[in-house]
Amino acid sequence: MSRRDTRPLPVLLLAAGAVLVAICVTSLLLGAGEIGPLDALQVLLGGGSAEAAFVVTELRLPRTLIGLTVGVALGAAGALMQTLARNPLAEPGLLGVSAGSSFAVTLALLAGASAATLTVHVAQLGALIGCLLVLAAARIQGVGNDPIRLVLAGATLTGLLMSLMSLLLMLDQRSADEIRFWIIGSLAGRDPATLYAVLPSLLLALVLVLLIARPLAALALGERVAQGLGHHPGRVRLLAVMAVALLVGAATAVAGPIIFVGLVVPFIARALAGPDIRRTLWLCLPLGPVLLIAADILARLLVAPAELPLGVLTALVGAPVLLLLIRGRRLPTL
Amino acid sequence: MPVCYHSPQRARSHHRRPPPRHQAPAGFWLLRLRLPGCDCSLLIPRRALAVNLMLILCLLLTAVASLALGEVRLTPADVWRALSGAGPALDQLVVRELRLHRVLAGIATGAAFALAGCLLQTLARNRLATPGIIGIDNAATAFAVASVVGTGIALAPSAMALVGAATAAALAFGLAGSSGTRGYRFIIAGVGIGAIAGALTQFMLSQVAIDDANAAFPWTVGSLNARQPQATVLLAAALLPGLLLALRLSRALQLVQVSDAVSIGLGINLIRVRRQTLALSVVLTGLAVAVAGPVGLVALLGPEVARTLCRHRSVPLLASALSGALIMLLADLAGRLLMAPLEIPVGIVTALIGSPYLLWMLLNPSFRSQP
Repeated sequence: MSRRDTRPLPVLLLAAGAVLVAICVTSLLLGAGEIGPLDALQVLLGGGSAEAAFVVTELRLPRTLIGLTVGVALGAAGALMQTLARNPLAEPGLLGVSAGSSFAVTLALLAGASAATLTVHVAQLGALIGCLLVLAAARIQGVGNDPIRLVLAGATLTGLLMSLMSLLLMLDQRSADEIRFWIIGSLAGRDPATLYAVLPSLLLALVLVLLIARPLAALALGERVAQGLGHHPGRVRLLAVMAVALLVGAATAVAGPIIFVGLVVPFIARALAGPDIRRTLWLCLPLGPVLLIAADILARLLVAPAELPLGVLTALVGAPVLLLLIRGRRLPTL
Repeated sequence: MPVCYHSPQRARSHHRRPPPRHQAPAGFWLLRLRLPGCDCSLLIPRRALAVNLMLILCLLLTAVASLALGEVRLTPADVWRALSGAGPALDQLVVRELRLHRVLAGIATGAAFALAGCLLQTLARNRLATPGIIGIDNAATAFAVASVVGTGIALAPSAMALVGAATAAALAFGLAGSSGTRGYRFIIAGVGIGAIAGALTQFMLSQVAIDDANAAFPWTVGSLNARQPQATVLLAAALLPGLLLALRLSRALQLVQVSDAVSIGLGINLIRVRRQTLALSVVLTGLAVAVAGPVGLVALLGPEVARTLCRHRSVPLLASALSGALIMLLADLAGRLLMAPLEIPVGIVTALIGSPYLLWMLLNPSFRSQP
């Protein structure tokens, strides 16, 4: 047992929570526009000009809230997925779950849907199908215990779905215009109405996560052990898949496909709190939004007054972590 | 130490009738050349010869079809007349100015991608190690886009694509560390590099005006529509010597794909062969990306087709190049015809064919990564 396994969880959670609050406030204070940190601070303290108040409450606040929601969803989904596939490289974005979700939304848009609530459920359905495909692939002999083959298969599936999407969008210029900015994951310019639409399913998913954290920890030790401890591996897996689908589908419906967050967040959480899923899962909840909002702040500031796509920053952070994971002497296992 | 027992009788009969000294093994033709002072012979695998001839024939037929079909439909006879400079002016314009360049660019890029893929697969002893999968395509695209959108680095796109391809290859090998080209680590490193390069491309496209970004879009998914003449000429100039060098390396590669120890024992300069193979594959990929964008799956499909057709355990370099060119032309033709007047970029067509095949390869329980 190393030192990180004995660090008290409440202390870690408190520290992560403090960082999260600080990041959220920073996100409200900083921006690409004319409203500087001091003006925004005045608004937060109850004063300030009308213009500054508008920017802070109407532009930066929704954006921060969306980052909070999406970050929580992606961080938890990543941790669940990695435990489920027993593979530290398993990430919803890398494995094609997000792509399945965006493909479903594209199909729905082509079929004429536009209501926000419908989009959310369609995205979650797509994510569910993607998850089931990944788990089916992971159970094939030879693929399941080879983390890298699974990731390659996921990357290929993502490529295939992206090509199909480009093809469908070529057919329908109207949908293409509607979807062009959504398809590149970002927190900017998203409709807060979608946020309210996804909240119920997010809460449901978080309750599910609460219920299955202990059985999942047993499942991480192997199917036999979990059975011996009185859990039902099949049932637990099914619940976990549904939770991942709800989380990823909700995140994709709000912000578009964002990859690598689900890889990096559990990686950091494991480095801080050890491999036990009951500890990392809780730590992932505050760490997800910390990473996502920090990336979003950078996306705003790096090339101000223009803006970087958020996906670019997450890829720039995530790809080195991927390399770090495989750089170790042994192939990574969970 | 194996010991061979000969019965005296068999030994005597063996002695009486020595086997003919110059007899070709089964499946080969022996070509002998007797010149004064030089007596050389060449073994030609029959099947490979037949396959290559068949591929050339198919390639010619597809090229004629590509020249004839499209918005203006021509008969093969019309095409021939237009090519030889006779016939109506409109036909001549369509065939010689528009379609011929496209067909030649398609053949050159397809051959270059597939040859590079076959070389890298043999070098890494892994069917998955194609330039597209290990991120060389994406990096070349990112660098070429950087020169197109003008980030202050003013080099021709071809040169920038070359720099990008070389950088990605160096990074993939460097990050794989001591495991070198062996194993999957090198491939996952490539996936990471490819993701970074793809993100950078997106970023650069998001910085330019929307019209420029739209114009660059087909090229970033891989298309023969937006090619530049100079890039095609450069690629063709590199392809011919590249093919010759590859054929010269093919005997050494045949041993390299077996084992390092055997090839060193048989007197092959392993380091030089590796270096030349890698450099050739990077150069071909970079130049091909500068013409057609990242159509990386051709590098996977071409060698697979060639290997299936040739069956022999040698390295089917020529057959790979030919089948790569054939796949590229067919995909481009399909992309132009299927949804006319809309054109599906060739990169999307190859992704739609190649990805399911790659998935099948990866998820097949009896998958063997050795080519």
